[in-house]
Amino acid sequence: MDISINCVCVSYKELKICFKDYLFKDKNITFITGRNGTGKTTLLKAMGNVVDYQGEINAVGTYVSQEAVMFNKTVYENIVYPLTIRKLALLDYQDKINLLTEKLNIHHLLNKNATKLSSGEKMKVAIIRSIIFSPKVLLLDEPTTHLDLESIEELENLIKTLKKKINIIIVSHNKSFIENLKDKEYRIGV
Amino acid sequence: MIIIEGVVEAFKLLISFDPEVYSVIFLSLLVSGLSTIIATLISVPVAIIISVKKFKFKKILKRFIYTFMAIPPVVLGLFVLLLLSNQGPLGSLELLFTPIAMIISQTLLIIPIIIGNIITSTEELNQKLIETCKTLGGNTKDIIKLIILETKPFIYMAIVLGFSRAISEVGAVMLVGGNIQGKTRVITTYITWTTSMGDYTESIAMGIILLIIAFIVTSIIIKLRDDK
Repeated sequence: MDISINCVCVSYKELKICFKDYLFKDKNITFITGRNGTGKTTLLKAMGNVVDYQGEINAVGTYVSQEAVMFNKTVYENIVYPLTIRKLALLDYQDKINLLTEKLNIHHLLNKNATKLSSGEKMKVAIIRSIIFSPKVLLLDEPTTHLDLESIEELENLIKTLKKKINIIIVSHNKSFIENLKDKEYRIGV
Repeated sequence: MIIIEGVVEAFKLLISFDPEVYSVIFLSLLVSGLSTIIATLISVPVAIIISVKKFKFKKILKRFIYTFMAIPPVVLGLFVLLLLSNQGPLGSLELLFTPIAMIISQTLLIIPIIIGNIITSTEELNQKLIETCKTLGGNTKDIIKLIILETKPFIYMAIVLGFSRAISEVGAVMLVGGNIQGKTRVITTYITWTTSMGDYTESIAMGIILLIIAFIVTSIIIKLRDDK
């Protein structure tokens, strides 16, 4: 699903950040880049409908914050949380969970408490939790910040696979990560 | 020396099964326990609403709550005394110098403590939980359920603080209860009374019993917090 943005303004504390027109195409990986404080995360949050905004955004994406908030449950319970609240049969998703956790090398952590994981492992769990219910648009906020080189490579491979089916929008400062994946790049605040 | 005597006396009192001592302990537990339960039932939903909702005057409301966390029990006792006295608006209920008046005082005393502690310890976490739950497709019901589950440890700790404040305060229960033997005498007013009589050993003994009770109740609440 394409996402189009039309004169969106977000009020944050005493600031008001406005964004002109942007189009994020389906089955594409679009990067949002720019200097600190230019509102990249705010724009991503607006597209995920987790902040109030004025203006038009035609669809809602699933937002993964750079903090990767974990619930005080096991990794497995965290991953299936979106399925649980949708009352979906968990058994139907077992293969998908195994596949994704193996791809990101966290299968061995499934029974561990997610709040006790490292920041990088939390990010991996947060990403799997966000794609387990097959969203149409995935919004990743600096996903590589806490990841080691091998993990970044695993994530790149996963994103390349996901791209075939969904629209992926990423905020990142990681140059090689951007170069390896980007179909389009919007540099904001210039 | 007098402290050691107090410790010995505390154990003697406990194993003596003196009806007066046990009635004082029982009333302390009843008054502070019920106050904590009532205050919890009121405070937890209020604290969650304040911490998750954005509304006008939120900052001022929070400042008021934090101010009332520091209210001296004797001032609050005075307020309840005026409310329940014969000339007061609730005088016709004839609650003054009864355990109910003591429960009202302690409940009012600890409500801001429980609300204030829950807000300060969970507000930031709640915003993150709301954001995460919302983006994963959760509705308001899911968000509330998640917040209660995730902030449970902080809620239990706020309850512990509330109970500790209730069972250890003396000013409010003294004013509205009157320290009537066999009717409204609790551990703290008993200590005040024995101290004024010069019986320091018994005061220390009751103080130690108070600490033992606080330790046991706190341990039970913390155990509940840690159990999944």
